[in-house]
Amino acid sequence: MAETLPPISRLEQWVLDVLLVPAAPQPPEGSPDSIRVFHAGRNFYTFGLILWALANAGFFAFLITIDFAGTRIVRHAPDWVQLLWTLIIWFDLLAFAATLPVTFTAQQLDYKLRWYMVTDRSLRIRSGIFAMQELTMTYSNIQEIRVSANPLQNLLNIATVEVQSAGGGSGPGSSGHIGRFEGVANANEIRDLMVDRLRQYRDSGLGEAQKQTTQTDALSAATQVLNEVRALRHTFET
Amino acid sequence: MPPDPVPPSISAIDRPAPPLLRYYIFKALATTIIAPFMMVYLYFRYHSMRYRFDAEGIHMAWGIIMRHEIMLNYSRIQDIQLRSNFVERWLGLARIEIQTASGSASEMTLEGLTDHIAMRDFLYSRMRGAHHPTPQPSEDSLAAALTAVAEELRAIREIVESKRG
Repeated sequence: MAETLPPISRLEQWVLDVLLVPAAPQPPEGSPDSIRVFHAGRNFYTFGLILWALANAGFFAFLITIDFAGTRIVRHAPDWVQLLWTLIIWFDLLAFAATLPVTFTAQQLDYKLRWYMVTDRSLRIRSGIFAMQELTMTYSNIQEIRVSANPLQNLLNIATVEVQSAGGGSGPGSSGHIGRFEGVANANEIRDLMVDRLRQYRDSGLGEAQKQTTQTDALSAATQVLNEVRALRHTFET
Repeated sequence: MPPDPVPPSISAIDRPAPPLLRYYIFKALATTIIAPFMMVYLYFRYHSMRYRFDAEGIHMAWGIIMRHEIMLNYSRIQDIQLRSNFVERWLGLARIEIQTASGSASEMTLEGLTDHIAMRDFLYSRMRGAHHPTPQPSEDSLAAALTAVAEELRAIREIVESKRG
């Protein structure tokens, strides 16, 4: 069963208002009862926090190293240089500390503001806060579905379902052609749903549509018609 | 089947909206050192950009020294991306990136559209697979129809035979 998202706090709502982030996207056209909306799993947030902590710890270590190295270098410099360096150290440490609550809140919002919508004809994926992206793709254009998870994601029981359309757009910053259901807890369920719905689109993707092979019934019926017409003509002739 | 007519609000779009020029100013400023050159390039890009939405597809052209022109059919659209950053939203803009099955990163980026939601919905409605697949005459119904015809013919033959009888 899909997990429910925690509500958006007042502070978060304020951030969203300031950044002019629109409310939930409207689902793409499709029969209303087929619309299903998925969200990232709770552990996607945990995953994000772990990455966030690692990145910030790394950056902090980098800052400390620079500061120590700098202090050693300016040891014999004039007093005003040393003073300036001390000020720089304080400034960068304070600036770093100031970014922490911002990036921390961003993790929360990034987790809460993800919509993965699936209808009977298409899917729509929206993510992002500062830079927002929304992808709409029809099943007819889907080429492949892939589920992937790295070891940490495996440990947290989340995975990413990727849906690709044709084309090789792989330039920097281009996520075109790929719809990503990032950090979902029920990857298998989503995959099965997509595969099931794709099955109804025999012509999906590029390439020749699969021909039906059950024409024998129609052929035998046509033969019956032919026999009957022949017999009728025979009746008229005699 | 002829394609549906393009809604007037869409076919009326032939140029990007004025806020795009303001966005380009921000974009140029963000490049700091080369900002003046960027501004000149973006200024001409804005003023030379032309759109045409007709029944079959989109035509887009821009550039004065390097002239670019793209035409693509709605039915060739693979996916539609709506992107916007904070500055664009502040100016009421968004980009629509349209992908086709060729190899480049993004085939066409529609910029400077004020009603991007309507445009997205319009493009989506023209995309392949946006509507229910036209029900193919199933083999079963074809067989049933043929069987019915055969039965009718048999009945006719029997009537003729009995009259002669």
